[in-house]
Amino acid sequence: MKAFLPNESLIPWLKDLSSSLEVIAPVDVEGEAVYQTWKGQPPALVGNTLSSPIEVLMPRTEVLFRYVQDSGRYTFDEPKVPTRIVVGMKPCDLKAVAILDRIFGSEPTDHPYLAKRRSTLLVSLNCTDPGPWCFCAIMDSGPDAQEGFDLALTDIGSGYLAEAGSAAGVLLIKGCSSGLFLEADGSHEASRDILLENARSVMAEKYGDRSVGHLRRAIRSADWEYLGRQCLRCGGCSFICPVCHCFSIADLGVPDGERVRCRDTCLLSGFSRMTNGANPLGSIGERMRNWYLDKFEHLPERTGLIGCVGCGRCDEICLAQIDRWRLEVLDERSRQQRQQHK
Amino acid sequence: MSDHDSNGSNISKRNNSYSGCSKYSGQSSQGSYLPLQAEIVDIDVESPNTYLISLALPSGVDFSYKPGQFVMVSVFGLGECPISITSTPTRGSLQLCIRLAGRITNGITDSRIGDVLGIRGPCGNGFPLDRMKKDILIAGGGSGFATLRSLINYIVDRRDSFGKVAVAYGARTRQDLYFMQEYKGWQQAGIDVSVTVDIGDEGWKGNVGMVPALIDKFNLPAGSAAICGPSVMINAVASKLMARDFDHSDIYVSMERHMKCGVGKCEHCCIGPYHACQDGPVFTYDMVKEVL
Ligand SMILES: Cc1cc2nc3c(=O)[nH]c(=O)nc-3n(C[C@H](O)[C@H](O)[C@H](O)COP(=O)(O)OP(=O)(O)OC[C@H]3O[C@@H](n4cnc5c(N)ncnc54)[C@H](O)[C@@H]3O)c2cc1C
Ligand code: SF4
Ligand code: SF4
Ligand code: FES
Repeated sequence: MKAFLPNESLIPWLKDLSSSLEVIAPVDVEGEAVYQTWKGQPPALVGNTLSSPIEVLMPRTEVLFRYVQDSGRYTFDEPKVPTRIVVGMKPCDLKAVAILDRIFGSEPTDHPYLAKRRSTLLVSLNCTDPGPWCFCAIMDSGPDAQEGFDLALTDIGSGYLAEAGSAAGVLLIKGCSSGLFLEADGSHEASRDILLENARSVMAEKYGDRSVGHLRRAIRSADWEYLGRQCLRCGGCSFICPVCHCFSIADLGVPDGERVRCRDTCLLSGFSRMTNGANPLGSIGERMRNWYLDKFEHLPERTGLIGCVGCGRCDEICLAQIDRWRLEVLDERSRQQRQQHK
Repeated sequence: MSDHDSNGSNISKRNNSYSGCSKYSGQSSQGSYLPLQAEIVDIDVESPNTYLISLALPSGVDFSYKPGQFVMVSVFGLGECPISITSTPTRGSLQLCIRLAGRITNGITDSRIGDVLGIRGPCGNGFPLDRMKKDILIAGGGSGFATLRSLINYIVDRRDSFGKVAVAYGARTRQDLYFMQEYKGWQQAGIDVSVTVDIGDEGWKGNVGMVPALIDKFNLPAGSAAICGPSVMINAVASKLMARDFDHSDIYVSMERHMKCGVGKCEHCCIGPYHACQDGPVFTYDMVKEVL
């Protein structure tokens, strides 16, 4: 089902949704678009966001359960999962959800992830204006969402072309106050096609030389010792990546408290260190290599999907200015060129 | 948590909404992270820093396991860590052999009879008894012997299903040897048991030296092997066995890795494309020799 949502109907539609669901949408926080519970602000539905809405499903920190002690025995309480709708998720992040579904959905399934996944509706926003670091078109995960959305929006200037991808998506259109959505026609679809084609060619021009095959060869021949020396070990490239899913588990509180899990990264030195001090990933170079192998060799082997969706966040965030695909340090000039060139 | 505490922030801002109705204290299911509560029914001392803990699971819980599997053990407030099951499924109780190593293991051994520990599992694959040959060499070094004891006692209880079986085990000193009171029973079951220590003393009349040296003493046909211990020992034993025509895919190695989730999600335990907690901890030697 397709429909057209005029610009002036966007906020009324979000209001409509928020009467029955928690709406998560990007809003402007000090100049940065951040996904938050929507409270009536104008949504920042532009460009890619530095922080990924994947945090709705894979929070930086979450409670697995609360333990309460009574006479030496415990009772456990799992947090309630709210029903939510994420509005504005980019196709790259949507593809990351598909990868995480395979990871957390494989036996034995990860209940905390799946509980959130099952109670979250996804409204994606196709990318008509890719950011300077975006290369989703090369990774086959954008600029338009192919699957996994309940509703896909495309900003065509005067409003949004909305396409349902599930029965829930149809209800998002049909179930709201009448008059918000109008009928879509051929001209809306034609505008969408032109805009997406343009986005595709922008990315092809800039990043057309990237290919997974090249990168796999580069991983084999890279100077990991050198790259390790450049890396500042901040873990930023992992914490910001929508596909990275390493986590740690810890208890907070005695005798009652919470068992929490928080995102972790294989780039940090303690990640694989064992009690006796032995560390299978002892040097930062080895850990960086492992980061790449996991995304481009091991994850594809396990899930059938490559562990990178081309969001470009790791390139953008890297303090050491490592070009993640050429596996070399970017000089200042090429970095500036890349940022300016849109 | 890894060294840099960059991910522990937001905790106070978290939205604490708990369902009042889903109170839970029964069966744990894999992947839910909710542990079972097991009561400590006995504590014994194996060596100056190692304790043997016997647990009773809540009644009605189906907890079937195989030798070589492990459990995620928690002390609430301190956290969770992987511990091999040292008992055999052929006997009643669930036993863990804990060596003091840090926060959680100290917390476990600080517990008293009647206290509860959290248990998740069984985790991992265990030894593939259906694929292993009937003649088995078992080689253990240090605390890695805990997981092999499960296999040995399993063999003792199902002796007719196995052929020639030999055990080679080494520890640092005489005091560090585990399960000494059981060796006689193993020998009575027709198992060749050979023990060594790195550092001998006046009270020790047995072998002094490394585990691989014990292998030469056995007259064992090329069968399967089960090894757990330090990498150097594993490699040395494996190369002796291969020289004796053991196939590298018949040599099973139980691997240690840092573990957090135990269910193949957190990535802490990765060995190349494998997760030690799911695809292991038991691997064939050819799968892991590059990382040993
Ligand atoms: C499959 C497997 C079976 C094991 N079986 C036994 C056993 O039968 N008896 C025994 O005494 N020990 C066993 N260990 C080792 C035991 O898990 C560690 O000694 C324990 O995690 C140390 O935790 P700690 O809090 O006491 O020490 P700390 O050093 O304070 O550990 C801090 C954290 O690091 C992690 N960690 C550190 N080292 C390891 C490690 N080697 N393996 C996994 N996680 C680690 C733990 O998650 C822990 O939360 C086993 C390890 C594995 C992987
Ligand atoms: S590896 Fe980099 S570009 Fe790829 S998905 Fe992760 S953050 Fe985005
Ligand atoms: S973002 Fe750059 S500097 Fe930071 S850990 Fe990743 S590679 Fe290293
Ligand atoms: S312990 Fe988490 S993946 Fe193995």
